[in-house]
Amino acid sequence: MSPRQPRILICGSALAGNLVWAHEEARQFFDGLADLVVMDSPNRADFLVGLKSGGKYDQIVGIYRHNTSADRIGVFDEEIIDALAETGTVKWIAHNGAGYDQIDVSRCANKGISVSNTPGAVDDATATTALYLVISCLRNYAWAEQSLRQGTFKSGLDPGRAHDVTGRTLGILGLGGIGLRLAHLVHAFPMRVVYYSRNKSANAPEWCEYIDSLEGLCRESDVLSLHVPLRDETVHLVGEKEIRVMKKGSIIVNTARGKVIDEEAMIRALEDGHLSSVGLDVYPNEPLVNPRLLEFPQNVLLPHMGTENQDSQRHMEVRALTNLRDFLRDGQGNDLIPELRSKL
Amino acid sequence: MLPRVLVCGQYLLMCHLPFPLQHLISESRSHFLSSFGPGGPYEGTVALYRRNTSSAVIGKFDAPLIHALADTSKVRWIAQSSSGYDEIDVQACKERGILVSNTPRANEDATATTTLYLMISCLRRFSMAERSLRSGTWKTPCDAAQTHDVTGRTLGIFGLGGIGLRFAHLAHAFPMRIIYFSRRKAESVPDWCEYVLSLEELCKQADVLSIHVPLNQSTTGIIGEKEIRTLRRGSVLLNTSRGRIVDQEAMIRALEDGHLSSVGLDVYPDEPRVDPRLLTFPQCTLLPHIGGVSAESSRAKELQALRNLKAFVLGGIGEDIVPELKTGIGNSTML
Repeated sequence: MSPRQPRILICGSALAGNLVWAHEEARQFFDGLADLVVMDSPNRADFLVGLKSGGKYDQIVGIYRHNTSADRIGVFDEEIIDALAETGTVKWIAHNGAGYDQIDVSRCANKGISVSNTPGAVDDATATTALYLVISCLRNYAWAEQSLRQGTFKSGLDPGRAHDVTGRTLGILGLGGIGLRLAHLVHAFPMRVVYYSRNKSANAPEWCEYIDSLEGLCRESDVLSLHVPLRDETVHLVGEKEIRVMKKGSIIVNTARGKVIDEEAMIRALEDGHLSSVGLDVYPNEPLVNPRLLEFPQNVLLPHMGTENQDSQRHMEVRALTNLRDFLRDGQGNDLIPELRSKL
Repeated sequence: MLPRVLVCGQYLLMCHLPFPLQHLISESRSHFLSSFGPGGPYEGTVALYRRNTSSAVIGKFDAPLIHALADTSKVRWIAQSSSGYDEIDVQACKERGILVSNTPRANEDATATTTLYLMISCLRRFSMAERSLRSGTWKTPCDAAQTHDVTGRTLGIFGLGGIGLRFAHLAHAFPMRIIYFSRRKAESVPDWCEYVLSLEELCKQADVLSIHVPLNQSTTGIIGEKEIRTLRRGSVLLNTSRGRIVDQEAMIRALEDGHLSSVGLDVYPDEPRVDPRLLTFPQCTLLPHIGGVSAESSRAKELQALRNLKAFVLGGIGEDIVPELKTGIGNSTML
């Protein structure tokens, strides 16, 4: 009897649990390399039982993970990571998405489990979402459409509140792939682009001006756009102090993670007009949206649509699966997350 | 008596001009037309500053108004404060020796930005997503299978004037593939802007068709059943030009049967009326004709219109005369 192939667990969408777009690619990638098993547990308890020796997920070596799996088994916290480590076989989690704040990566590091994300695949779609929010906030488009749909066409809109994009200053907090892509898109107008990152970026074009502090960035920006991952040290990174350093009438755009902003401080600044509007795709407790945000017609509020389109989602699935394939074939996927690179 | 300028429509700037400005005080068209005679409030008016907002009071500058104006006044110049001048009957102006200027460049940036917004919103269904969030359903009705990245898709620009070209530049940043059709192949366009030989060819190749031609007799309804059906199934139509350029009935039929996946509109045939059927398609993005509206562009338009007026009043000839009237410039325009 031939030895069993390694098994890959697909922790995918909320409905079927499976991949959504890249079935054909998955078949090609893993044909002769691994068997694919779809995670069908309705809850965490069932999942944990399945991981045990002789369980339905026995002999899993790598996991494809999408955030929607959290609807059934919760986030990959210490309990889940420990259970994965307990199997002795699981060595790689290929997360589908740029942000991996739903995985306890320091626990993974301790337990010798590698984690990859899909950094480049989300850049274009997320930067386009940020561009949309920047434009809509400056020009009050969302507000205008609400006015039309309420039957008042444009009466009641104040043209003096709408501003051209061209010539204004965009401050980018975190010049990674998404931030840099947004910089390129707004440079077409052009906007003036300034940025702050922990380190000055080696990839930044010369028209991207580095500012050496977050406070300096806030002071310079007409629009501040956030592109840092959520970590302990980035929770409420933009708070009362940072918001008040911004010019009166400024705009904040967030396509990163809701908790990077102190929401209470942001709402206070909207109430007293210090912020003219905010463009948000992310919230601290999704899918819950603080109802006070809806009271401002000038706000542009998207339901975490950053990468929601078939082209990008296919790219992301393929990228995550590529990491798993490379891990199986070569022992290492390309997109190992930064926190785990030093452990090699 | 000094030459006077009559301001028809809201006027925002407190700008010093070397001649008196008279503001519109009429509350009806008949009062307007009877006020240019001796002793009338508009006596001595040689030029008009005009915004479309004046239509609410005195109506459009149609042929009857132009003829009556020519009969009763010394008006020789109408400085329209916008790029579109379809509310002025320029043929009647031509017959009566009145010149019309517009502000062709002042809102190119603002209008191209609006078009970019509509395109992103339609391809990604963001407007629909916002309404879903605001109605408390998060992203439930959103289906990623219905939406696409902007990057790599083909944008067809119908009319590569200032706004069309500016929009092309903004879309090129992604990049999109850019193709265009105009009556003539444009000069000095970047080499990534590809000219196609017919409107039909443009429709055949475009994922997104964006309209940037002015409204006149030859463009009314030019995007009709045939053009829309020549577009690929699932295409997106954008209009930030004028509502009547598109056959609205044909467009709505194509939305109903899914041939058009969505439309992004800033303009409508009978503004401010919006056909209520348009509101029944949640995937459409509908703006209330604010394409060129921003604090900066309003100021730029006003300054440009006033510059045109000033040059006329002081020098006998202004700039930015609309193309239809450029050939007829002669002695008749002199004060």
